[in-house]
Amino acid sequence: MLIIPGGGLNSKIDFYTLTAPFHASQEFMSEYRCITPDLRNAPEGKSSGPLEVDRPWDSHTDDQLGLMEHLGFKKFLVMGFCIGGPFIWNLLKRAPERIVAAVISQPSGLRPEAPTMSYDNNLKGWGPQICAMRKDINMEQVEKFLRNMYMDKDFVYTVSRDFVKSCKTNVLIMPDDVPAHPYVVAMESARLAPNAEVCLYPWKDSKENIALALRHVRTFLKANRPVA
Amino acid sequence: MPFFQKDKDVRIHYREEGSGFPLFIIYGGGLNSAVSYPAGPFDAFEEFKSEYRCISMDLRNSPVGQSTGPLDADGAWDALTGDQLALLDHLGVKQFFVMGFCIGNPLIWNLQKHAPGRIVAAVSAQPSGIDPKDPMFLARNNLTKWAPDFMARRPEVSKESVEKFLDRMYRGKDFVLTVSRDFVRNCQTPLLVLPDDVPAHPLEVSLEMPRIAPNGQQSLYPWKDTPENVKLAVRHVRTFLKANRLAGN
Repeated sequence: MLIIPGGGLNSKIDFYTLTAPFHASQEFMSEYRCITPDLRNAPEGKSSGPLEVDRPWDSHTDDQLGLMEHLGFKKFLVMGFCIGGPFIWNLLKRAPERIVAAVISQPSGLRPEAPTMSYDNNLKGWGPQICAMRKDINMEQVEKFLRNMYMDKDFVYTVSRDFVKSCKTNVLIMPDDVPAHPYVVAMESARLAPNAEVCLYPWKDSKENIALALRHVRTFLKANRPVA
Repeated sequence: MPFFQKDKDVRIHYREEGSGFPLFIIYGGGLNSAVSYPAGPFDAFEEFKSEYRCISMDLRNSPVGQSTGPLDADGAWDALTGDQLALLDHLGVKQFFVMGFCIGNPLIWNLQKHAPGRIVAAVSAQPSGIDPKDPMFLARNNLTKWAPDFMARRPEVSKESVEKFLDRMYRGKDFVLTVSRDFVRNCQTPLLVLPDDVPAHPLEVSLEMPRIAPNGQQSLYPWKDTPENVKLAVRHVRTFLKANRLAGN
């Protein structure tokens, strides 16, 4: 199971111990081989590579697919938090035959009333951080990268509503409703995708509700695990 | 649809469709529960008969059904549970899933109490329960929505007998009527609850059950408000059943 941590462009392995609603690896490592990468160029992570300004989403998706290929996994489950939402849709677009089922937790998406929010936040936060660490990257490149990533996009950033409508993969969506994780986008994607489920909401507000949501996740993964 | 003669007095009308692992379906409607449920939020037989052996029965003395037997005030819930287990025995069903709507909830819990180990997983949709603010609501509801039709069909049963029966079913009960909170806390059977919030189906009970049951889950809520949300809830049910089939049961 590929697990994509949250934290926007600072998505990194120790998300679990910092701001995650649950520790995905600890929850599922007794049942699944859990693999979590630092996102390329997450300032607090250890993955590195070029800043591919013309193909921001796809460069990260390449890394994720490349890692799973390297580890020998033709097919896999995927669970993503926050920025993991757009990444999962991109994986489903690029490698639909490899994704057995997907859990999309607190998905990022475009909030129509604040369409430049992700661009603005990363330009102020992530951009200066990565430039300070990497002398080969400047703010002009960062601006272009973020523009291609977030501007003139819609919905879940990486795919269209028509793609979601046609996606047959089983997905479980765990909605959130903070500025970067719009509830309306989470629910719309769940209603459009022909094999989507949605967990109870709210679920992050208490330990009891997180436990209920996790039982749903566990059931969903079990039902979708390929029979050996 | 076939009948099962349980004993000299009790005759059960039942429905069976599909094949595979047995799914016992208890439709809603209070004491009018029968083998179909036109007012239900989804058609459980249609949804699941392609994957499971779906079995349902008219509740004994449901006026819209054809099952008949004594109005057993002393047996009350246990008499109805006895009918259900007898039918499942008759059909050779040892272990099964159970899905209940409305009155199906207290009947599911009574099945859990009387037949531990036989229920592999349970789905409780729009569960009936006791609203502490109006604990006799269910008794009054059945007095107006079940008793008149039942007495019209069974003129030999007195009004006093009906009142005594409803009293035994509903007076002095709490929570899910048939078992205690401690029973629910100790019940290891996987449970999926699809909450509702009408007087006969108090939201508080819907929410408390999965939170105290050690293997409880809850669907999205609300889910009955739009066809899209019903679909999302039914997909959760399908996944839940599939996962529990795959669990080696």
